[in-house]
Amino acid sequence: MKVLLQTCAVVAVPLLLVSCSGASATNPSPPMYNPYPSGILPADVESETARVQGEVQSIFVQALAEANALPPANVTGQPPTQQASGYRAIMTLGKLMNYDVNMSALKNMACASCHMPYAGFGGPIPSVNLTMVAYPGTYHFRAGKRTPQRYTYSPYFPMLQLDNTANAFFGGNFWDGRSTGYLLLSPDAEQAQHPPVDTQEMGLPDTACIAWRLSQSQYVAMFERVWGAGSLTGISWPSNTEQICSTPGGAATFGTNVSPVSLSPVDRNRANVIFDHWGQSVSAFEKSVEVSPFSSKFDAYMKGKYTMTTDELAGYDLFKGKGNCNSCHLDGRGTTLLPGQTDTSTAAQVNPLFTCFGYTNEGLPLNPRDAFYYQTTPDSLGFTANPDGFGYRDLGMGTFLRSGFGSAPSPNAEWTSQAPLRDGRFQVSSARNAGMAPSQCPTTEAPGPYFQKGFFHNGYIKSLKQLVHFYNTRDVYPFPVTSGHCPAGTTEKVDCWPMPEVTNNLDMTVGKLGLTDQEENQMVAFLQTLNDGYTVPYPNVNTFTGQCSTGGSASTQGNETLIPTPTLPPCSSNVCAIPPLPNPAIP
Amino acid sequence: MTRPILKLVMTTAIAAAIVSNPVAAQVPPPAKKARRVQIVKAPELEMAAGHLTIITWTTNNPGGTDDHYGVVHYGTDPKNLNKTAKSPIRLNQGHPTTTFRVRLDDLESRTTYYYRVDSEESTGKSDGVKSIVKKFTTPPRDERLVAYPKRG
Repeated sequence: MKVLLQTCAVVAVPLLLVSCSGASATNPSPPMYNPYPSGILPADVESETARVQGEVQSIFVQALAEANALPPANVTGQPPTQQASGYRAIMTLGKLMNYDVNMSALKNMACASCHMPYAGFGGPIPSVNLTMVAYPGTYHFRAGKRTPQRYTYSPYFPMLQLDNTANAFFGGNFWDGRSTGYLLLSPDAEQAQHPPVDTQEMGLPDTACIAWRLSQSQYVAMFERVWGAGSLTGISWPSNTEQICSTPGGAATFGTNVSPVSLSPVDRNRANVIFDHWGQSVSAFEKSVEVSPFSSKFDAYMKGKYTMTTDELAGYDLFKGKGNCNSCHLDGRGTTLLPGQTDTSTAAQVNPLFTCFGYTNEGLPLNPRDAFYYQTTPDSLGFTANPDGFGYRDLGMGTFLRSGFGSAPSPNAEWTSQAPLRDGRFQVSSARNAGMAPSQCPTTEAPGPYFQKGFFHNGYIKSLKQLVHFYNTRDVYPFPVTSGHCPAGTTEKVDCWPMPEVTNNLDMTVGKLGLTDQEENQMVAFLQTLNDGYTVPYPNVNTFTGQCSTGGSASTQGNETLIPTPTLPPCSSNVCAIPPLPNPAIP
Repeated sequence: MTRPILKLVMTTAIAAAIVSNPVAAQVPPPAKKARRVQIVKAPELEMAAGHLTIITWTTNNPGGTDDHYGVVHYGTDPKNLNKTAKSPIRLNQGHPTTTFRVRLDDLESRTTYYYRVDSEESTGKSDGVKSIVKKFTTPPRDERLVAYPKRG
């Protein structure tokens, strides 16, 4: 089998919207949508988007070459198995999909456009991480509302479940848990199905468009090698399919129709199966050693192949002890933390994921730079992302359980009554790769040279130092103000923490840890041991072609971009008046 | 072997791999319960500012569900603690003690409050520890009872 190796003009001219597939009748790009006040969009957003697209395309070409290098398929045994090359085949297929810009309405955005390897598969544009937080979608400049969550180790999250004995949710994917895994039994595979049809992300208006675009792709043979001959062909596509698929979702022309591609029931079912295979293939890539390799210093330490530095080891002791971080970011170790004792226990888990798969409200302040708040007017297609403006409150899992605005339908009515107990809670991400950065600027911390990231769901925190300091002092320096309004004589994020966006269910495990400045730094040193790429180089960590940042202090990193939060209107009825109501009511 | 069979087999294989995901086994069992749960550091006012008051206390590890709630019953009449505040914390299974901290938002300034603490599992089951009734007085609106520490 040979995959067509066709690099197209996009390598040389990355902004061109290309189709290598022969699909035609694409719609012209709609006029730019820019409802943002001056200074909200970073000045380099266009050049940086183009830069990332070039990087994405280079890895796509790499994946094509890897597909071509696969040995012939040898399907044998009972049940039949693609012997020897099965893992590699589905992982490579997922990689092709992940880096394919044709999987967006305007053919200018791949999954990887918001998830590049050098950022631990998190957001790849420093200026976006610093300012608007959410990434521009296929239709520039619609944007979502949260940071792109790293998908390293995301396939290891179990299905979302409510443990009735413990009365706690665990599992799922996404910050709000809305990818439950209820159908594919893999929240990660279902997670991969959301962004392609998200109006503010890749923007395809119909899940069938995934099947259509795959059928026009350069790797049809690769798909059918994995999923069977004929698995991607044979659907009778209407003549206007490409025209529909190149119209970003949410366009008024679609009304409430989420299946505008007219297919027979049989063909619709086939397209649905292909859509499932899309999710499963991408998930196979994300679970592979190319994304989730367990290759960090910590993994080497667990196997006796790495000796932690004094600071790293002190940080680990704090992580397990005074910091209490491993109560949620489980490290797979037994702990005996009486004064003076060290942990000599046997590893309880060979591949600790540094998460409890749970959900918690850490009390992040509302981030007024979040692009979502400004998308209050319709774009040229008649779509308005956020009619509520600053009346929107991000209740995280609570909104999902209510099937509320900005989330996805909950597939389980038995969970609905839990919503008030889950308001303000977001997924406990794996701490692995939080500090991953490109090889050219291999830290997230000023003075660097550093790679600017955004942490937590709303990107309010800009460095690991700030992250640890937030956990350490949130309740030591609390002020009844919103971001941008700390009192004179204080410094936001240093000795002033604005009030939480949502106080309901606020976690009090943290907030006053009693760490010294040196201990905070030691915790940062430990967190950096969780970055993959120590035992073997992390694939494509060196593909960053942008600029590193230098100077300043990690404590105040990004503070120059703080803006005053406007006077907040009451929480919108779209969010806070959906039963069961938040308790207490959210102002 | 026909291709449709391959497709079915591959789908089943992926699903089986996911269903048998060992991750479920990685969710630890609930913490072990102490033989006798008791308060080892008495409840006290951690801080009180105009908008926020925090009460804190420490028990030995109460065990049970990992998600726990600190509970403060409070009011201005020591014989009628008619209000309740709860804050979640997460037990650390390896720690011998557990510190509870509970937020009381927007109390009246310059007012004496009486309170008693309790803790419970996320199911609502009490840990069986209740303190004596204690009291504190909130500061004027723009003041803070525990001074902001100097950094560094």
